[in-house]
Amino acid sequence: MKKIRLQVNGTWRSGWAAPGQTLLEFLRTELDCTEVKHGCGKGDCGACTVILNGMAVDSCLVLSLQVDGSAVVTAKGLGTKENPHPLQKAFIETGAFQCGFCTPGMILSAKALLDTNPQPTKAEIRRGLSGNLCRCTGYRKIEEAVTAAVDYSSKNHGSTEDSTH
Amino acid sequence: MKYIGKRVPEIHGWAKVTGQATFTDDLRLPGMLHAKILRSPHAHARIRGIDVSKVLQLPGVVTVMTGKDTPGIKYVAQVSDMYPLAMDKVRYVGDPVAVVAAESEEIAREALSLIEVDYEVLPAVFDPREALKQGAPQIHEDKANNLVLTIKRDFGNVDQGFAESDFVFEDEFSTQAVPHCNMEPRSSAALMNTEGVLQIWSGTQSPYFVRKEVAHVCNLPISHVQVMEIHCGGGFGSRSKYCEDEGVTALLAIRTGSPVRITFSREEEMTTTRIRHPFNIHLKTGVKKDGTFVARQMDLIVDKGAYCHYGPAVTGYAAGTAASHYRVPHFRFTGDVVYTNKQAGGPFRGFGAPQAIFAIESQMDTIAEKLGIDPLELRLRNANQSGDTTACGWQITTCGLEECLQKVVSSTNWQEKWKAEKTGRFRQGIGLATAIHVSGSNVFPDGEFSSIEIKMFLDGQVSVYKGSGDTGTWANTVIAQIVAEELQLPMEKVRLISMDTETTPQSLGSFASRVAFEDGNAARMAAIQLRNYLLESASARLQVPGEELQIEQGQIVYQEDAEKRISYGDAVFHSPRCVGHLLNSFYQYVPNTVRLTPQGYANVSAAYAFSAQAAEVEVDTETGQVRVLRFTVAQDVGKAINPIAVEGQIEGALAQGMGYALTEELIVDPETGRVVSDCLDRVMLPTVMDIPQEQIFLVETCDPEGPYGAKGVGEIGLNPTAAAIANAVHNAVGYRAHKLPIEAEDVYYFLHPEKR
Ligand code: FES
Ligand code: FES
Repeated sequence: MKKIRLQVNGTWRSGWAAPGQTLLEFLRTELDCTEVKHGCGKGDCGACTVILNGMAVDSCLVLSLQVDGSAVVTAKGLGTKENPHPLQKAFIETGAFQCGFCTPGMILSAKALLDTNPQPTKAEIRRGLSGNLCRCTGYRKIEEAVTAAVDYSSKNHGSTEDSTH
Repeated sequence: MKYIGKRVPEIHGWAKVTGQATFTDDLRLPGMLHAKILRSPHAHARIRGIDVSKVLQLPGVVTVMTGKDTPGIKYVAQVSDMYPLAMDKVRYVGDPVAVVAAESEEIAREALSLIEVDYEVLPAVFDPREALKQGAPQIHEDKANNLVLTIKRDFGNVDQGFAESDFVFEDEFSTQAVPHCNMEPRSSAALMNTEGVLQIWSGTQSPYFVRKEVAHVCNLPISHVQVMEIHCGGGFGSRSKYCEDEGVTALLAIRTGSPVRITFSREEEMTTTRIRHPFNIHLKTGVKKDGTFVARQMDLIVDKGAYCHYGPAVTGYAAGTAASHYRVPHFRFTGDVVYTNKQAGGPFRGFGAPQAIFAIESQMDTIAEKLGIDPLELRLRNANQSGDTTACGWQITTCGLEECLQKVVSSTNWQEKWKAEKTGRFRQGIGLATAIHVSGSNVFPDGEFSSIEIKMFLDGQVSVYKGSGDTGTWANTVIAQIVAEELQLPMEKVRLISMDTETTPQSLGSFASRVAFEDGNAARMAAIQLRNYLLESASARLQVPGEELQIEQGQIVYQEDAEKRISYGDAVFHSPRCVGHLLNSFYQYVPNTVRLTPQGYANVSAAYAFSAQAAEVEVDTETGQVRVLRFTVAQDVGKAINPIAVEGQIEGALAQGMGYALTEELIVDPETGRVVSDCLDRVMLPTVMDIPQEQIFLVETCDPEGPYGAKGVGEIGLNPTAAAIANAVHNAVGYRAHKLPIEAEDVYYFLHPEKR
């Protein structure tokens, strides 16, 4: 066991990391970041996606001991109810979720895509979301939402960067 | 109307886009224990003994429980045949044998390896046709030949019908097992509180079914079980009645006195929860020369797996669908529900209809081809019509089937594509299929009703109490819209409390496409009643006749003189009905339907929905690979209370239907009975890359019984999809699929028989 520090959504947090423990387990059990979802634990579903040092990763495939000192962004860290992140606003307006279990991961994969490629093509959006499974929506509204978020962002001539970074 | 028919955002949206919607595994209760289930490695074995002595020596373990430590009561289900933990026998790989509760999941998992079970391995049987044979291993002591029961239907005079037919068609079809693959793995948490009430959290569609089953296996009165509100990460039928972990969690909570949770691994979710039943289907249809249907007979062998769960109801619904899909004067059905040593089936979106419709709609194209009738024409000739009573007694008040077919055909340029010559390596084809489905179904002894309670506060806002769950279908949003409409309140002023058996009034649950329809009717009536109470109070207060008052955005206004007005809050305060500063309204909706009898003749639903779908595919003749290019759907939704929600249901159903047709399968090793496709990767769910173009038309027939005319929409979108794809594949390359999923290998060998 080792105490590690992570910057989660801009705030430094610490907790006990154990050998073999994944970042997903660390976030959920040590830090109670339950907005990061456990769908499979082996890289198949993308529900556990977080942004780790600027890159979208399946947190179930990363060991907690390896990320001491890193910065993590979860879906909770993107915007506020009054001032939602363009992706959050677009997901709500488009209706891009049903049960909402895949949604945090889906939004973070989309965010990582838009951060590096603010004007993605339809094919690029699809590729960016291809590691995230959704059993409810049939994906159509999710694609629409990401497209809408691109529009909002370019209209606000801002970026899709969140406030914590 | 302000909210009805509008694209209103989901009311739990902010919680969902931030990940703050709380699912059972997200709960944090002080002192919570974590439990893991030890499961059988054998498909069929007798338990000679279980040695748990080493387990308690492991630090962090709190308790270990086997069947012997429980009251030994089986779940009720439809045929009571399963204990929460095996008593003396295991019947499939994955059957729960023991459970350990510990301080952490890791410790509980480690502890499982310390349990020693002495098994006497028995011969197992995995094919239901083998299971029916003399001398097959007997899975349940009381069921000879492993036959749970046979569902029979006989309407009209089928033999005479076949005799009068010009042609009789007979075909065999088979369909596969599919796991639901809800993104949230099963999880349940329980706590015995100091009042002796067992509180249980379980993402469920039907809290009252959960309450019934948990109370039963724990030997508690139902008043001592409270199912708590929690988000559910997808239902699709898998959470529609009860799940077998709920009883185990509850028993552990009672035993330990601590809060306990069991969360399944993905592998457990895939290999031990209820799945879509595989069917073997024999379909015989008699037709006249002009294509008119005269008689239909369907005989099923339903692979039940190791336990019955709701298999008889699923089989019965397949019968209802087969008796009602298109006009069929004479109808006969047998459905043998057969135990095998495999994971058990249960409700799954469509409830037996997708299997039956795959057969009916596939054969439909064969009939059209043989008779030289256009497939569209054949469907139109036999289409259900408003005012029809089907062979099994379903009374169709409004029917948009014909309109749906025409819409799909005209917007796809169907005739041209259907007849186009198919050449080259990549060949395109188009296929049609349709469906019928209930809006709620009067089948269970638990009753058929929905109730809604609304409380208005002194600030003029309301809380709506709804007994059924919302697994992500937007049911809560739709109910809130209805209340907002009738009370002319902004959506933010309507709060939804759902599925808490202690506080929300009882409803059957959210399955059988019933919530928008039945809960919707209850919500509408409860809201109208509350509005009348407000008007009554305002009328007395303002000294003007009630009919001349108007309600708008929290105010009740006298039409003649707008100065004369009173807020909702004041109307609540001054109402003689106001109790504890609240104005309450309650309504129980009971549809005018008939409970299904063993003979199977009854009008089980108050409204029937219809759908027509066209699938366009491309087949690679060099690999046999099928790719769906486009879906066109026209669905008789009655009235779309929230078009986003309705489209979402259809789009989600199409993806599931496409997976059902082409890739998804729970594969079981025929030697050991072990599930091979035990992870999401191997079941091959569609990803965003697989989604074709889609065009969706909502046909609004405005059913007189539906709230604002609405019908059920949750399931029907999946029912015809596999058949439409199968028909498109046939149109493209001439391959007639008799089994699902349609595998590239089979298409390839059909096209290249010499390579076999
Ligand atoms: S939980 Fe990490 S990919 Fe599924
Ligand atoms: S919304 Fe339920 S899994 Fe995507």
